[in-house]
Amino acid sequence: MTELDIPVGAACRIDAVAPGLTIAEVPVGLDPEGVAVDLGRGRAYVACSRADNVAVVDLDTSSTVARIQVGTEPIDLAFDPATDRLFTANAHSDSVSAVDAESLEVVATIDVGLYPSGLTADHAARRIYAGNSLGSSMSVIDLDTYETIATVEAEVGAGAIAFDRTRDLVVCVNFIAASATFIDTKTWTVIGRVEVGSGACAVGIVPELGHAFIVNSLAGTVSRVSLDDYTVLEELTVGRAPVGLTVGPRHDRIYVSNRGSGTLSVVGTADGMQWAQLPVGGGPGGIAVDGNRVYVANAGSGTLSIVDDLLAGPPPRPAVEPPHPLIGHKLPEFSLVDFRTGQRRSSHEWAERRYIINFFASW
Amino acid sequence: MILIDIWEGTDPKPDVDRFCEMWGIDSTILLDETAEYAAALGIRGVPTNVLVDADGTIVDIGLVRLDELDAAIDRLVSS
Repeated sequence: MTELDIPVGAACRIDAVAPGLTIAEVPVGLDPEGVAVDLGRGRAYVACSRADNVAVVDLDTSSTVARIQVGTEPIDLAFDPATDRLFTANAHSDSVSAVDAESLEVVATIDVGLYPSGLTADHAARRIYAGNSLGSSMSVIDLDTYETIATVEAEVGAGAIAFDRTRDLVVCVNFIAASATFIDTKTWTVIGRVEVGSGACAVGIVPELGHAFIVNSLAGTVSRVSLDDYTVLEELTVGRAPVGLTVGPRHDRIYVSNRGSGTLSVVGTADGMQWAQLPVGGGPGGIAVDGNRVYVANAGSGTLSIVDDLLAGPPPRPAVEPPHPLIGHKLPEFSLVDFRTGQRRSSHEWAERRYIINFFASW
Repeated sequence: MILIDIWEGTDPKPDVDRFCEMWGIDSTILLDETAEYAAALGIRGVPTNVLVDADGTIVDIGLVRLDELDAAIDRLVSS
């Protein structure tokens, strides 16, 4: 049946409300990962990790208008409106850059531990936290003086960080250890840990629920973790290979980017249900949110997706990713260069065999 | 198993070499540098696995988790 064949009429037409609206997809550069929003200037900043720069996106024109050279392999970002500074975690430089948002120049470089891959600012407490993956630690930096206040031992793969000021608590998730470390912000001591799924790489906290949500990229789940007794309460379903997570401003939902699906999951924090999966660019990762507008950095397509979440609340049923439309169809023929030999090889070589094609990227 | 590398953006050689060494990969690796073939298959993310039957029919697409992949391979082998 083609589109023209679909009968339209009051008795048979169903007008479903779309859960999201794509506003723009902006080319930004190589392997964009972290994203931060500067509402005062109407800008988004996107860390282009393999270009060693930060793309400055004008949100009025949806275009990249400048680039800021920072350290090597910037992965995560945080913006501090009070000092008008942008901070970047430069994984291969073992540093954090402070950038003046007016001049777009680096004004300070702060040494941290090995391979910082996560960065979170607590504006009220005037601190910034860096998760040092290969240093297995978390650096605590004064947001105004840039002095390192403490370096707290975490576990291997320490990266993403979230805080709960009501509990004087910081949670640092450890990718390689598949765990989360709980740190008391009054004493900078470790007060607990929990094992989560493999590839733990993002975290968000909803203090009023007393829960942390931890993305397990390799396990393909989101763990709901109690902030009171540090136990996993349940595993939530999202899309394939989830890697990024941000809590919505009303704390009623989290946004999870699914690197394997090319989508953004909207998940209720109370019901744990996947409310929607919104299409974004290829291989999405870092997320920032302002109201119902969500910004997603897409490492595969080298773009920033700007999407409006149109859901007022939970839908009647959870969103389920539909089966791929090409299942049951013949595989399109391919003719591609062999990485090792340089020879062109075609799908005919694999005719009459059962096989798996694994699409991957090295980043 | 065929691996198809996409979305590198620059010369893939050093990064793919490092990736193969890290994960101990010695399978066939093909380069889809423009991601044109991936787009033809509607691939929107990585990793994505595509299971192909002996008559060239796609039996599944997606399957990132090991348990899902194992189950799909069992179905493919026994079909």
